[in-house]
Amino acid sequence: MSAPRPARRRTSRGGRRAAVATGALALVLTACAAPGSEPTAAPERDWDDVLAEADGQTVRFWMYGGDDQGNAYVDDVLAPAAAELGVTLERVPIADTADALNRVLSERQADVEDGEVDLIWLNGENFATGQQAGAWLCDWTAMLPNMEYVDPDDPLVTTDFGLPVDGCEAPWHKAQFALVYDAARVQDPPDSIAGLLEWIEQHPGRFTYPAPPDFTGSVFIRQVLYEVAGGVDNVPLEFSQEAYAELAPQLFETLEEMEPSLWRNGQTYPQELGELDQLYADGQVDWTMTYGPATLPDLVADGTFPETTRVLLTEEGTIGNASFLAIPSTSGSRAGAMVVANLALSPEQQFAKARPEVWGQYTVLEQDLLPPEWQARFEELPQSEILPPYEELSADADPEVEAEWVTALDEGWRRQVAAG
Amino acid sequence: MTTTDAPPAGPAGRSTGRRSRRLGARGRAVLLVLPALVLVVTVVGAALGSALLLALGLAPLVGEPALSLDGWREVAPDLGTSIRISLGIAAASTAIAAFVGLCIALAATAAVRRSRLLGTLASLTIPIPHLVGAAAIGLLLADAGFLSRLLGVDPPSWPPLVGGRLWVAVVAEYAWKESAFVALVVIGVLSSRAASYGETAALLGAGRWARLRYVTLPLAAPALGASAAVSFVYTLGSYEVAALLGRPFPEPLPVLAFRLFTSIDLTARSQAAAVAVTTALLGLVVVLLSLRALRRLAAEQ
Repeated sequence: MSAPRPARRRTSRGGRRAAVATGALALVLTACAAPGSEPTAAPERDWDDVLAEADGQTVRFWMYGGDDQGNAYVDDVLAPAAAELGVTLERVPIADTADALNRVLSERQADVEDGEVDLIWLNGENFATGQQAGAWLCDWTAMLPNMEYVDPDDPLVTTDFGLPVDGCEAPWHKAQFALVYDAARVQDPPDSIAGLLEWIEQHPGRFTYPAPPDFTGSVFIRQVLYEVAGGVDNVPLEFSQEAYAELAPQLFETLEEMEPSLWRNGQTYPQELGELDQLYADGQVDWTMTYGPATLPDLVADGTFPETTRVLLTEEGTIGNASFLAIPSTSGSRAGAMVVANLALSPEQQFAKARPEVWGQYTVLEQDLLPPEWQARFEELPQSEILPPYEELSADADPEVEAEWVTALDEGWRRQVAAG
Repeated sequence: MTTTDAPPAGPAGRSTGRRSRRLGARGRAVLLVLPALVLVVTVVGAALGSALLLALGLAPLVGEPALSLDGWREVAPDLGTSIRISLGIAAASTAIAAFVGLCIALAATAAVRRSRLLGTLASLTIPIPHLVGAAAIGLLLADAGFLSRLLGVDPPSWPPLVGGRLWVAVVAEYAWKESAFVALVVIGVLSSRAASYGETAALLGAGRWARLRYVTLPLAAPALGASAAVSFVYTLGSYEVAALLGRPFPEPLPVLAFRLFTSIDLTARSQAAAVAVTTALLGLVVVLLSLRALRRLAAEQ
């Protein structure tokens, strides 16, 4: 009589255990379900309303921390100005912008609503990745009063690596890809990318580029892509498998032909821009390259680069882009982040940031839209003999291709050029 | 029922008492292991579990979770090369580290007084982080590095040690750091037991070579094997040295995994996790194999 009871109890206990396990598994699986990929839109509101809400908020600003001047600008110029508006700006230095993005994506997976990231300095690839996952707050930049100084038709600030910005990030500064050489060692600098390719062949071992996916090395191969395609107009900025199949083989062929003339016969490449800069500083190669030429005078002044360092001006112009400030949809201080983005766009801040001794970043503001006194101040920015002024450098600037192109080319380069 | 309640009497009672005491010892052992076990299971288990979920497509960053092996399928072209490179680097550096480490241990435990200094010097290497070691090796062996300048060789004719085809700098760094670890472990075993056994063997007329061959080496073998296995698995899964001193293509497993994990393409996350899981499995296989070998060694002795 009493024997079956414990047995039944055992089965029911086992059943309960199984039910709990199934429940837990279901919970885990639903927790793993990815959040939707449609972006969060910010409701349209009055700017004074935003300012009032932002008062007292803390904005954690995640940005690449490897640039001392940039860090100093944010800590000493931008943060005090934000404090006057009642917003505490905390800079979070990161080694790679992708770290911040990873953080946001994990927070979205965990349904966090007041995340650790309120504002990110980013562009292109990371923006596209976040957009793919719907990680950004959108439709908020039109609310910023200082957007009136930004040219609404400037493709550099309305698209980011071919992807429409759609109010999901506010422009911060412009950048221009530049090839850099030592005039003491390069007596006959070329004046075009085609000329550079010839120069490389004539001077074996004196040139190399960082291996993609290094940001700068990746830009360099896109610059060569525009050249082998016969101009940027022949490269559809939108990625398609057909366009890739047509253009990429030519590019990789050119790069492979170039290999024997590269540093160490192209058997290996610097893994990142820092290594190339090191080679250039050591005098092992005559060229380096950068997406931020405004930092060059500083590198020359502190003796890292030789005094005869110059920026190459090419006939066809080089690739240009802009970097932006984005607010993750997981931010709990959206109003504060918007206030900081607006502040960063103000003529005062953009001018301070453009001064070479502060940071030397090119402004995103359109000169013609600025009040005359600000136009005058921007014009008076000191010039350096190392690099030409931004207008000259960015003349005929080439647009960036879609981020999908970037991944495909980087991967193709690794498989064909690096492996070959 | 009554037997367990009654006080132990007679042979049967004594045997139950012994058994329960033994169970108690086992229970105590489990209790002692528990803190470490909980830590390992929660930290490593959770990490491996989430990596496995990600690799199997059950925890995507975008889209619906669906069980698939796409992570492995897409990374397959690179996986074979990466496994070969990782195993090659780990094998080369472990072999050098085991040999050098054993030599240091033998020298340090020799009956010469100054040899203690050698052991101390070798163990000074241990607290240096691998990252610092890698940077130092880089500065030493690079084209325009300290060594090439010291020897007066101009950079283009300097052999490509850093970032070259043979991964010389990477192997050198691991071999240097791990040899100190191997030496420390082997010294620990030899210093406590080798002297007395060696003296006995010498009294019995064994020569130097015979003492090394039949006394010292068998004594050192288990410790040498275990520390070599640890160093092999560590090298297999370590990222920073290979990333800093290696070349962009082909990549060892951890470098491949990290590049895929930070790729701007969100679908590459599952590939990164697949590589990580593969690395963990490889490490597990190596550990199991070496445990078996060690057990066999113990049985032989």
